[in-house]
Amino acid sequence: MPSDLDARLLAAHAADDRPALIALYRAASEASETETARRFYLTHAYVYALEAGSDLAPALRARLVELGAETAE
Amino acid sequence: MPKDQQRNILDAVSAPIEVARGLPNAHYTDPGTIAEENEAVLTRTWAALAVGADVPEPGDCKPLEFLGQPLLLLRDKDGTLRVFQNICRHRGMILVDAPRKIEGAIRCPYHSWCYAKDGRLVSTPHVGGPGQNSHPDMDRATLGLIEVRSHIWRDVVFVNLSGDAAPFEEVHADLLTRWQEMDKPLYHGGPDSSFVLEVATNWKLAVENYCESYHLPWVHPGLNSYSRLEDHYHIENQGRFSGQGTYVYRQLKGDDGEVFPDFEGLGEFWDEGAEYVALYPNVLLGVQRDHAFAIVLEPVTHDKTREHVHLYYAKPDIDEELREKNAAQWKEVFAEDVFVVEGMQKGRAAAGFDGGRFSPAMDGPTHLFHAWVAEKVAALRAEKDAL
Repeated sequence: MPSDLDARLLAAHAADDRPALIALYRAASEASETETARRFYLTHAYVYALEAGSDLAPALRARLVELGAETAE
Repeated sequence: MPKDQQRNILDAVSAPIEVARGLPNAHYTDPGTIAEENEAVLTRTWAALAVGADVPEPGDCKPLEFLGQPLLLLRDKDGTLRVFQNICRHRGMILVDAPRKIEGAIRCPYHSWCYAKDGRLVSTPHVGGPGQNSHPDMDRATLGLIEVRSHIWRDVVFVNLSGDAAPFEEVHADLLTRWQEMDKPLYHGGPDSSFVLEVATNWKLAVENYCESYHLPWVHPGLNSYSRLEDHYHIENQGRFSGQGTYVYRQLKGDDGEVFPDFEGLGEFWDEGAEYVALYPNVLLGVQRDHAFAIVLEPVTHDKTREHVHLYYAKPDIDEELREKNAAQWKEVFAEDVFVVEGMQKGRAAAGFDGGRFSPAMDGPTHLFHAWVAEKVAALRAEKDAL
């Protein structure tokens, strides 16, 4: 993960900034070089979106299903 | 103590009022006896836990502890209120530590398993390894939040922790019928219409005091000018509820003579009639033509009780000033009872006290409650002895 992204993620966790966490974990997923890392970070984006009731949650879940990280409903 | 002597003591409590004694001291002072009693009268019955107004909006949740059990009051997106155990099905972590609104899902703060507002398990991140959120052996459909059997009546949330009590409507059919006329929409008066009294007493003493009118002229002298002892009558339903009624209920009036709106369609009796009932085990209810209240008794420890008082009206938008005046008036009345219930709790340290006697004329409703507790405890002991 790029170091600036890592720093922004830590700052978002420290501030408990949920919208930022969703966006940054999604960005971390997209920046990842392995399938496992992509699924790992996208899972975090999805969990925070699910918790927040974000409109993004269904799309993130669908992407996790595509990546084989989540079962289809 | 030998079992036959224990049985004799409880038999003496449920004996006819003329000769009955009250519950022994151990039911107020001994944690072991009280633990047994709790199972008999609070776990296996429909115990009052909270009120619906504690979680008024969809998504609202409130963690509660009842008899040491971590519970969660949760209203789903459709407005249905449920009670769950406040723990994650994964490692038993407490899910919610303070009242709040759930926007999307409840996320366990430990490994982030997520639950929908109706209790379904909806996400299990990394449960199958990093970035793998399912596992064939982890069936989410069987791992939702554990629901506690509950029932809502007059906005009071009742729970049956043992899960095997007869249905609420069956157990309390008599009071539901008695107050059928009062079965109207109730509107909680809001934050200024609820208050909590922290009382250094066993919860049963609050029930016992509430049941009877005998103490009114002495403890609530303000009533004497318009509500005399002879204006009251006993309400007695063996094994279910007891309390008192009055024929001279007087409506609260504002500076310009304004009153609260009445519940619609009430009969003539309620023009000046009012009833105050302890519904066993632990909720005190009051009904009058223009407002009602519920006092949920939270048994904190064997000698500490939290009294959660809630006032309800017939319409949603009640004059704020009059509402506040009413809450202040009731708070004053209920606070007048505190020294009595705390004094009786202290008195229970007296080794020679035999549980006391009951006035056959005046203490019938209180005796009924004692007898119910004694019978419940005796039945539990008999059941365990038979195993």
